[in-house]
Amino acid sequence: MTANPVRRKTLAMRPWDWAFPPRPVAHREVLSALPDPPTDRPPLLMVHGIAHGAWCFGENWVPAAARAGWPAYALSLRGHAGSGGARHLRRTLMRDYVHDVMQTITELPEPPVLIGHSMGALIAQLVADRYPLRGLVLLTPAPLHSAMGDLVAIARDRPADLGRALVGRTLSMEPDILFEGLDPATARAYSDRTGTESPLVQWELLLRRRVGPVRCPVLVIGTPGDRLVRPADVERTAESYGVEPVWFPGMGHDVMLDAGWDRVLDTVLAFAADLPAWGTAAVR
Amino acid sequence: MVGAGPHGLAALKALLQNGIEADGFERESDVGGNWNFGADNSRVYESTHLISSKPFTQYPDFPMPDSYPDYPSHRQVKEYFRRYADHFGLRARIRFSSDVVDAVPVDDGRAWDVTARDRGTGVETTYRYAGLVVANGHNWSPKRPAYPGIEDFRGKVIHSADYKDADVLRGRRVLVVGAGNTGCDVAVEAAQNATHTWHSTRRGYYYNPKYLTGRPSDQVADGLLALRVPLAVRRVLFSASLRFAVGDLTSFGLKKPDHKFFETHPIVNQQLVYYVSHGDITPVDDVERFDADGAVFTDGSRADVDLVVLCTGYLVSVPFLQHEWLNWDDDHPQLFLQMFTPRFDNLVVTGLIQPDSGQWTLAHWQGVLAARVAEALRRHPSTARAFLSRAGAEAGRRYSAGAQYKDSTRHYYEVAHQDYLRALQDAIRELEAPA
Repeated sequence: MTANPVRRKTLAMRPWDWAFPPRPVAHREVLSALPDPPTDRPPLLMVHGIAHGAWCFGENWVPAAARAGWPAYALSLRGHAGSGGARHLRRTLMRDYVHDVMQTITELPEPPVLIGHSMGALIAQLVADRYPLRGLVLLTPAPLHSAMGDLVAIARDRPADLGRALVGRTLSMEPDILFEGLDPATARAYSDRTGTESPLVQWELLLRRRVGPVRCPVLVIGTPGDRLVRPADVERTAESYGVEPVWFPGMGHDVMLDAGWDRVLDTVLAFAADLPAWGTAAVR
Repeated sequence: MVGAGPHGLAALKALLQNGIEADGFERESDVGGNWNFGADNSRVYESTHLISSKPFTQYPDFPMPDSYPDYPSHRQVKEYFRRYADHFGLRARIRFSSDVVDAVPVDDGRAWDVTARDRGTGVETTYRYAGLVVANGHNWSPKRPAYPGIEDFRGKVIHSADYKDADVLRGRRVLVVGAGNTGCDVAVEAAQNATHTWHSTRRGYYYNPKYLTGRPSDQVADGLLALRVPLAVRRVLFSASLRFAVGDLTSFGLKKPDHKFFETHPIVNQQLVYYVSHGDITPVDDVERFDADGAVFTDGSRADVDLVVLCTGYLVSVPFLQHEWLNWDDDHPQLFLQMFTPRFDNLVVTGLIQPDSGQWTLAHWQGVLAARVAEALRRHPSTARAFLSRAGAEAGRRYSAGAQYKDSTRHYYEVAHQDYLRALQDAIRELEAPA
């Protein structure tokens, strides 16, 4: 435990949420696999990152987690993969995504462990701000404290990509950016499955976000060679919750797809198995 | 925890979530309280829908499903509470069909002995708790004004508490007394079913539409609040929008409001004015007295009726506690933040509020505050005592956002939602940052 987790103040006043509630979306894609026979473990809910979809968890993690005895769910945010709302993607905001996750949570039988990847990890933190999760898992998380540093790193690394983002196009999801250990054909196939992202949401990643106290245990996972989220940001995110990040060298940004995904999942499941019963977590 | 209605559930969840052992007592066999349609003390009727839209009405950590309309029905609301209770595992912690008949402080006020009677067997059992949360509601004990001559009236008199559906109105001449949201709902249903309807009100009111500019009107109001538009400007805007959409209500025979916007609990009813203008409802003055055939009003006019529906509201009743423990002043408790009594650290009331908005966002945060106080009493007693020591001085303070509420029993618990929620937020933050 590091010494100084960020002290967060409870935020009850959310006038914009009351005045301008997010619009509902016609259909939400939720992939799931349940353990057979059923267990008494809490559900895992997984939220994808930029331009991905529920499929990135459905590929390996959802079935593997269910085999290990965990009810596993993965959600496609609106405008992504099998969910509705693609037509309105260009004016979709981060709060719409938070709404989608909240709606999915209320359909689960009990409070879940929420697992977010990249932008999904930022959404997961915003959800933890308003909902009492069992546990929070952040995979190569986009930071609450603004992704400006990551944008600068991308600009240095791949100026053309910055240009694309500036004109509202989706950040590049080329295989070499997402993966390190996959064979080229598989990496290309996954990369080709990524879609487009809301330009407004990409811009929103640069904003600094305030969240209230997060009272559930937090696990932060990073990769030292990440080409989208800098390790320094992963470090800082972990520190704000008073925990040490767990590193997976030799893996790319997409830790749930890259070679070695099973080791990452094992770490996540070990964390989830260790969670205290709901309501007995220490106050942070 | 007494009561498993909206406020009781929220408080029970907040306590359990924060690692505080708690049991709930509920006199009915299901959760939902007032929204448990068909239960003895449920006051909803067949046609009840929410009068505030979803965003501020729902619990902030458990939004209503997207499939619900802006204004869900009482059936959907009850289903919502059942799902909330199931999701957070609250049912296992609630003793159902268990009527709390007595609660007394013991051990110098450090604990409470709570006696509950099983409604099936009649057996009474006493349990000891370190703290007591009262959430038994304030919309179940009917207030029945004593009108002169009502005992001579040959027709039927019911209170809206016993009004369940429009069958009772069919083919009758009906007088509806009271212009709360229930009174207006019943008047509209009477206009659709009764032979004729008279609607008696003490004063003129603003009848707000459910939608403005295609959006639920409470969301429009919250939009103005989010933009920090001052009270005077909001008054002008809302009066102007009503004048533009409906016009001068006195031209329909309705009374001119004797107060400014935001000084009485908002009435949200679009249909009342419609039926008045179609002659199905005759607006009349306050009832002066009854006689054998009907009612005489303060302006001297009279109406011959068969049925009187008193939509005259409810009174707070906490039958299992002595009034002085809740700092009761004449006819209602004077509490700090409408929750804490100066007499005890470990006695909390939730739900004694009537906001100008949805209710359950406030229920959620009241529950969180109750949990924070319980937590602070254990971990940082000095912070908790410093907070609770203000209970005496600040008891009975109003959260009206600058408006002067009309003095009547229905406005004892009226709060301006944003003003009150800000006070709750400040209190929660104070307890979270121990000195």
